[in-house]
Amino acid sequence: MGNALSAQQVSVAFDGLKALSNVTLSVPRGEVTGLIGPNGAGKTTFVNVLTGFQQPDHGRVLLDGEDVGHLKPHLMRRRGIARTFQSGRLFAELSVLDNFEVTGVGLGLSRREAAEKAEAMLDWIGISSLAERTAGGLPYTDERRVAIGRALMLEPKYLLLDEPAAGMSAEEAADLVRLIRRIATDVGCGVLLIEHNIGLVLSICSHIHVLDSGEVIEDGPPSAIKASERVRHAYMGTQADAEGEIL
Amino acid sequence: MQRSQTILQRTLSTPVILIAILAIVALAALIVGTGPFNQTVIEIFIRIVLVVGLYVFIGNSGVISFGHIGFTCLGAYMTAWLTILPAMKKSKLKGLPDIILNAKLHYGWGLLAATIFAGLCAYIIGKVLMRLSGIAASIATFAVLAVIIQVYSNWDSVTGAQSSVVGIPIVRTVWPYFACAVLVVIVAYSYSISRSGLALRSARDEAIAASASGVDITRERLIAFVISGAMMGLGGALYAHSVGVVTPDTFYLNLTFICLSMLVVGGMNSLSGAVLGVVILSSIIQLLRWFEKGVDFGGSIVALPLGVQEIAIGVVMIVILMFRPSGLTRNKELSWPHWPFKQLPAGRSRAPTG
Ligand SMILES: Nc1ncnc2c1ncn2[C@@H]1O[C@H](COP(=O)(O)OP(=O)(O)OP(=O)(O)O)[C@@H](O)[C@H]1O
Ligand SMILES: [Mg+2]
Repeated sequence: MGNALSAQQVSVAFDGLKALSNVTLSVPRGEVTGLIGPNGAGKTTFVNVLTGFQQPDHGRVLLDGEDVGHLKPHLMRRRGIARTFQSGRLFAELSVLDNFEVTGVGLGLSRREAAEKAEAMLDWIGISSLAERTAGGLPYTDERRVAIGRALMLEPKYLLLDEPAAGMSAEEAADLVRLIRRIATDVGCGVLLIEHNIGLVLSICSHIHVLDSGEVIEDGPPSAIKASERVRHAYMGTQADAEGEIL
Repeated sequence: MQRSQTILQRTLSTPVILIAILAIVALAALIVGTGPFNQTVIEIFIRIVLVVGLYVFIGNSGVISFGHIGFTCLGAYMTAWLTILPAMKKSKLKGLPDIILNAKLHYGWGLLAATIFAGLCAYIIGKVLMRLSGIAASIATFAVLAVIIQVYSNWDSVTGAQSSVVGIPIVRTVWPYFACAVLVVIVAYSYSISRSGLALRSARDEAIAASASGVDITRERLIAFVISGAMMGLGGALYAHSVGVVTPDTFYLNLTFICLSMLVVGGMNSLSGAVLGVVILSSIIQLLRWFEKGVDFGGSIVALPLGVQEIAIGVVMIVILMFRPSGLTRNKELSWPHWPFKQLPAGRSRAPTG
């Protein structure tokens, strides 16, 4: 595989619990790939594997064709794989600008260069007004945007977003959709989007994978996912009717 | 919004204010001019070196170290070895290598050698220790202290074991101590606004997110550990020259407790906290010392029982921890024009909430 971040037959078990079994999934550059699945399906574990936080028991992680499965997280980041966290994880005592600068110095820039890039990135995301705020006290939506901006510093090749829209209103989610599109098309980043908001995923992803109990049970374009009885059954479970409206 | 100023320009007032505070303390010694007071001021400067040294590692990494006074011990003995008259060394420290045995260096070289030696040892120890984190790292630092003190308490032919090593040239003017305190403040400040300092503070807040930002936490911790170890070594050497005598047990739990208390009282995560913690607690200690000796109240001498010092420090620390857990400075830096406090990590004033 050329220009893609991909997992090949990745398996991870925690004390016998199979969190991922034989997952093969590819995130191509310049596109938004979706990963959905019920709670505990293994989505975050999969992101951890792709970013070096979790060593797979089996399988390989390929970055533009090169095996990188053994690299530590900071080295994965230096190779161009960025991520956000389900829980935000901002540097609470640092300012928003410094949160961005950390990525700059982490990737080898001087403080001055990092500050310049950080300001440019704040501007690009549209949150320059937050620059001097202490990250710890930010409202939820701002926290998410800062987390995305911090990950985007210095144009990563791949960006993995773990539930970026959680807790957002419809309007805020629409803003986020626009931002994610720009990340894929303007920056040329390969984006892996994990979301419980199915409508959002269906609207921007070119390809979607459905994970259930650690296994990929379906993958294809949005239309195929919408049509899939298996997905409706496994993912929606008893909520089929309520969620049916979104689908 | 354009922020054309560099981090240096934005935060320069912090070291300037801190150095001004140190200068005032030094001037007080000049004005009062008595021997005992002079010695008190020297002690304050030594503690500045030690507590700022602690701050460089603890404040930036968030890892509490109980072992740093071990480096102080290394520094103190190093300068003793290099500056004591060869004749004295030959009778009591015959195990030293010939080159050291025959050396009689100026104390300035002793300070330098102590700094480098402690930094080197910190590098070697840190290589192993910095892989650990959290409480495991803290316990391991304590083990390092215990090991160093044990070695120095028993290696008779090189350290004189538990007996005092005497004959270290005594330096009685405050200026060399003042100069070292200023130097240490400048280095600590430069470190905390450096790339490494920023990266390490990010890891202190969120280790996982820091590594996802490309920060090599082990490496950044090691850098801070070496700089702070070197400062502790310098502090030990200064101590040796301030009293002329060293024994291993000087550098054990008492000193560890006092230095950590000063850092906690001032505010662990700020350089200003380290400096203010020393100045304020040292002043309290000095007052209590006078009272321990006895104060004449219209003919009747009132003296506090010995040991009140430690009790008082403990009480002050508990009160601070209860009412101001982030220390007197609330982990902010002294700054101008946002007098009195501003955050060094961010280097900017605290944003309004809401
Ligand atoms: N470090 C760990 N140790 C043990 N079990 C774990 C660990 N991390 C995850 N698991 C388990 O692995 C399974 C998959 O967890 P994971 O967090 O990847 O799910 P998820 O799809 O991200 O769920 P959610 O939608 O709730 O975020 C769960 O059963 C979880 O309890
Ligand atoms: Mg998850």
